[in-house]
Amino acid sequence: MTAKDAINTALGVSSGDAMYQLRARRPVFVSGAEACRAAVLHPEDDLDLSPDLRHAVAHRAAAFGANAAFLAGYPAPDAPEFQDLAEGGLPSDPGLAALARHTDMIAATPAKASEAHLQDLLSAGFSVSQIIALSELLAQVCFEMRVVHGLSLLRNNANA
Amino acid sequence: MRDAIARIKIKPLSWTPYLPPVEIADATERQLAAMKVTPSAKKVSPYVRTLVHDPDSYVARTELFNAIMYAEGGLPRQDRELGALGASLVNGCMYCANVHARQHAKLSGPCATSALYAGRRDALSTRDAAIMDFAEALTMTPPRADQSHIEALRSEGMDDGEIQDLIHSIAIFGWANRLMHPLGHSS
Repeated sequence: MTAKDAINTALGVSSGDAMYQLRARRPVFVSGAEACRAAVLHPEDDLDLSPDLRHAVAHRAAAFGANAAFLAGYPAPDAPEFQDLAEGGLPSDPGLAALARHTDMIAATPAKASEAHLQDLLSAGFSVSQIIALSELLAQVCFEMRVVHGLSLLRNNANA
Repeated sequence: MRDAIARIKIKPLSWTPYLPPVEIADATERQLAAMKVTPSAKKVSPYVRTLVHDPDSYVARTELFNAIMYAEGGLPRQDRELGALGASLVNGCMYCANVHARQHAKLSGPCATSALYAGRRDALSTRDAAIMDFAEALTMTPPRADQSHIEALRSEGMDDGEIQDLIHSIAIFGWANRLMHPLGHSS
């Protein structure tokens, strides 16, 4: 395990810390979370969803965590065409606008999801495979957000 | 306060995707490898075949999910299931809630799930209530869990290793719920 995995970085943990030792007791959680992050941000087969697009979606979703250190782990891409998507605005491109709306709904109010939301993405030109990949990407960010939040509570507690 | 609650028998639901799953006959080699099946496989669930449209994330998530829910030692399995149930209820994933309520009932009897399904939070044990409170707060967006939740878990005898397990079991349902509920419906 490396002290520089995304979760340790967001927590500000280094290798001598009690939190580092605690996480090291579950090495499969640590390596598994890193493998998942890699699989959604830069998979072997990207299904024609570019790294910039993936990072823009991840940044937009990560902002819902209201945690600056966590958000810093999902930097927005430099590409100007994805700036609105990344930064919480409404992109002028209809496909990216549909993706922006979907990102906000999945991150903040997943209970409201319905079949119509998937139809919106299909109508905007996303393929079934791309919708699955984007769903996994969004959900992975939401997973990591909660691991970081939960572990930060343990870390800030005197016993940890 | 802990008066008798009628035992609720929770019937299983089945899940149907909104999007067309991969047909085994059409699956790519990577998709077959991800599902760990041969082209002649007959019974691969619609859930697996829907998510294997993206084999990279499918493999990584499945391995992490199994590690978190089934890792040896640490937090008892039924407590991980209760964390999963709490997240699923907040996220409106009735399919996941159903599966993990039944798992919990199988592992520790129907008292807790009967209380939850009857809307009787007051009838939970203090340990189960501490787990549910934490699961709900961590599942909110943004997460609202705080030190009071950690203190409540510690006062039930949970150590940091067990709380770490609970955090992961709640968080992985922040993932699974965002697949199962948006991508399909249960009946």
